[in-house]
Amino acid sequence: MEVFINLLVNGVSTGLLIFLLAAGLTLIFGLMSVLNFAHGGLFVWGAFSGAWIYKETNSFLLAIVGAIVIGMALGWVLERFLIRPVYGNHVRQLLITLGGMLVLSESIKIFWGPNPIRVNLPGWLEGSYQFDGIIIIKYRVFVIVVGLLLYLALWLLLSRTQIGLMIRAGVMDKEMVQALGINVKGLFTFVFLLGAALAALGGALLAPYSGVVFAEMGMQYAILAFIVVIIGGMGSLQGSALASLIVGVAGAFMAYYIPDLSLALNMLLLAIVLLVKPTGLMGEKGSAV
Amino acid sequence: MRGLFHKVPLYWGLAIMLFMLLFPFVNDSRSMLILLTQIFIFAIFAMSFDILLGYTGIVSFGHCMFFGIGAYSTAIIFNHLEATLLNFMIGLAIGIILSALVSYIIGSLSLRLKSHFYAMLTLAVSQLFLVLAEKWRGLTHGGDGFTFSVPDVFKDRTSFYYITLISVAVVFILLKLFTESSTGKVLKAISQNEYRAEALGYKSLHYKLIASVTAGVAASFSGALYAVSLRFINTNVFSIEVTLDALLMTMIGGLGTLAGAIAGAGIIEFLRHYLSELAMTYPIFERWTIILGFLYIVVLLVFPSGLAGFIKRINLKNKRKMKKKGELQRVA
Repeated sequence: MEVFINLLVNGVSTGLLIFLLAAGLTLIFGLMSVLNFAHGGLFVWGAFSGAWIYKETNSFLLAIVGAIVIGMALGWVLERFLIRPVYGNHVRQLLITLGGMLVLSESIKIFWGPNPIRVNLPGWLEGSYQFDGIIIIKYRVFVIVVGLLLYLALWLLLSRTQIGLMIRAGVMDKEMVQALGINVKGLFTFVFLLGAALAALGGALLAPYSGVVFAEMGMQYAILAFIVVIIGGMGSLQGSALASLIVGVAGAFMAYYIPDLSLALNMLLLAIVLLVKPTGLMGEKGSAV
Repeated sequence: MRGLFHKVPLYWGLAIMLFMLLFPFVNDSRSMLILLTQIFIFAIFAMSFDILLGYTGIVSFGHCMFFGIGAYSTAIIFNHLEATLLNFMIGLAIGIILSALVSYIIGSLSLRLKSHFYAMLTLAVSQLFLVLAEKWRGLTHGGDGFTFSVPDVFKDRTSFYYITLISVAVVFILLKLFTESSTGKVLKAISQNEYRAEALGYKSLHYKLIASVTAGVAASFSGALYAVSLRFINTNVFSIEVTLDALLMTMIGGLGTLAGAIAGAGIIEFLRHYLSELAMTYPIFERWTIILGFLYIVVLLVFPSGLAGFIKRINLKNKRKMKKKGELQRVA
């Protein structure tokens, strides 16, 4: 029982971190059908800049805010200089964002050196809660709470606000929304920056969680996030949330019981979804075929 | 054979070939021969990638898996059996058969997907191969890798230089014939407009499968040569950097021109060589990958058709100018 609950908590918190990365990805794809490979680069920049600011200032809050600001700045540069010139051309988008990913993760090594960096937990989040022999690490609970709050905020933004309405309409039918006089490109920039902020936040939260950050992390988590986005259905926030939890929890259990197969499991999930229901669990718009 | 060289002038190709054949007599510096050998090996790899991206319009982010399969097949054979040419052939054959099988299975399952999904899926599968190579320590010795001995012909730098040079020429001719064949024409049609090709009655999935198996086999061959050239292997052959190399080389050289892929391989390897030499005096160049990354992005944005397209455009301009001059003279 103790193991079960621990694995569940681990899985849910990892899943929510992946969700932060996947949320931006799925909205960006849904709105402009841009599959942004550089998204993982923003994530790893969030992780490193968060860890660095925390080390320099000793303030966790400042670290998170700083990471988000840096992530958004980089996101703006990406959108403006890499993605905008290749709107509407899928092949070139894929190729160019992969180049963006390469530059982002390599430039990490220029600023912080090629070796992994150790990251400490902030004091007030250290330690663990204990209930009848079940030990739950505090920081994981913190990640879960933040993740759930962000999901709620995103959901409210999408379903209750004017801009959310426009985004949802844009995901459904971009041309129609454009014809109604809404600036879809401006909307897209907003969504892109939102996604960048979420990715950087996810990275900043992950850094103390895994205890160590390294430049190749971006690609690893980007692949996880892509798997999640495809499983959940491109463009669907709920789908991504559900798939993140599935991938996170299944990964935690697999890593405990059959560690060698944990990556293969995600691949298997991805392959099954792509072959059986290419639109993903909750995807409505456009099929993968 | 007619039309084989109608895009790359035959005499240019022959001149370069002749120069390369004579090169070891002119300059037998070891490092230069090694660098050129490396270029030839990657030229084969880049050409195989060009069949996918340039000729058929398939974006694969997992092309390193075929390179790695070829490299590991040969390395493992040499690790367990004696270093003879026959065993090299066996290793090569195993690698090629495995690559053909893997590319066929992946292709038939996922080539019907849209480009995004296919790119993702291939990336994920290639990562799976990386994990497999790391975990299957009994066969691969994990991330540390292992060294092995190779036949004497391959050990001699000059003879290996000639072997790789001839390999490039043979692969170039074979792939050129392939792209000029009727199958190749259909591939080109698919890359330009898949729906129209389908409407004309060509099953695009079938043709895309042919392209991806061809590319997988050629990549596997280059991987085998790569393993032999290093006499050492580790899991790096499955890393995303290998796929990125192929991307850079084909993009910089020019998509859809096999000669461009060769030129791209030369440019990238030379750059890498000199940048890493520069890094000894200026540490900033230690991160030369980022320079390649910027170069790649700039090429994509500014010269989307690569070096080959750039040359073509200049030629076209010159021709137009000449034509105009001629007309003016006639008017006068």
